[in-house]
This record gives sequence, C-alpha cells and structure tokens, in this order.
Amino acid sequence: MAQLSKEKHITFLFLVGISGWFIPGAGYFLLKEKSRAIIIFVTIILTFCIGLYIGSIGVIDPIGSWPWYIAQVMVSPIVAGLGHLTAGGGYPVYGRPNEIGQIYTSIAGLLNLLCIVNAIYLAHLRGIKANGG
Amino acid sequence: MEAETLLTNFAIIASFISPENIGTNPVSMIWLFPLASAIAVVYKATKLPTITTGNFIKEVLPLLGSIIVFLGATALVLYGLVWFITE
Repeated sequence: MAQLSKEKHITFLFLVGISGWFIPGAGYFLLKEKSRAIIIFVTIILTFCIGLYIGSIGVIDPIGSWPWYIAQVMVSPIVAGLGHLTAGGGYPVYGRPNEIGQIYTSIAGLLNLLCIVNAIYLAHLRGIKANGG
Repeated sequence: MEAETLLTNFAIIASFISPENIGTNPVSMIWLFPLASAIAVVYKATKLPTITTGNFIKEVLPLLGSIIVFLGATALVLYGLVWFITE
C-alpha cells in the first residue's frame, strides 16, 4: 500500500515537472496555485516573445549556438520545433539584436527551469505533509 | 476587412522573422529593464508563500530596484576601470 502511494507520489511529481515544461506555470496550476501560475505564464511567455521580437526566431540556433539553445528549450518543447525551422540558417541575425534576443529567450528558459524545480519541490512537500511525514 | 486582418497577421509574423534595429549605444541599455523586471517577478512568484497584489508589488519593487542599482554600480566600476586603463 505504501509502495503504491510512493509510486503515485513520484508520478505526480513527474506530471508537475513535465506540465511545467510544456506550459510555463502549469505545474503550479496542478498544485491549485492559480495566481502564481498565471504570473509565471505571462512573465515567461512575454520575456520569450520580447526576445524573439528583438532578434527574430533566428536567435534560436541549435547548431551555431547550442549552449544558448539548451537554455531556450527550457521554455517549452515547442522551441525545439522553432529550432528545427531555423537550423538551416534561413533567418540570419547578427550583432546587438542577436545578443539581446539570445539573452532574453535564454533567461526565459532558465526562469522556467527555476519554476519547474520549485513546483516539483512544493508538490513533494505537500505529498510528505499529506502522508503525515 | 478580411484583407486588413490578413495584413495585420502578416505584420505580426514579420516582426518575429526579421530582427529589430538596435544600435551599439547607451540607449540599448534600456532593454535591461524589462528583463530585470521579469527576473524579479518570477523569482518573487516562486518565493512568496501567499500572493496578493499588495504584498507582491511590495516584494518585487525593492528586488527590481536592487538589481538595477547593482547593475548600474557594476557598469560604473567597469567604465571607470576602462577609463583608467585607456587614459
């Protein structure tokens, strides 16, 4: 019985993490933290969109600047689709717009990673509390 | 009406497939503010135990201010260092 409960708990933590990755803030939404989820969703999506607006979708470059790409893809797996689109070098961007766009989109990804980790930790704490630990 | 909507949609998409023109000048530093705001907002959204409009703003503004002041101070120190080396 305890094993089943532990499995359920791990599945729930996984669900919180994966939903937070697919939609920023969705992990908190599952934890019934609606205002937190909305604030995080709006802020992260806006930051990412500002980055794309400044530097164009060319700032997502999985080949030429893969370390930035790893951070960018933390926003959502949809970014990987954009990366597939730009991988051929069809959207060149240089100089200051490239720098600022990359910083914005990557920071948005890293902020979402912070939220995912925090949501999983919150879910874990609640699980422990519910089990009387 | 439909053509107008189509044009608007094209304009929105076009703004995301061509980069903006941002010069290498001090004005481009203005782009720091939205990013610093996003960092402060998301950080405080993860840290506050309960979120109400009042306490959220009260927590975010000092953090945003301290980020900007610290970045400004760092920029001044670096500028002074460059000035000292080159002059």
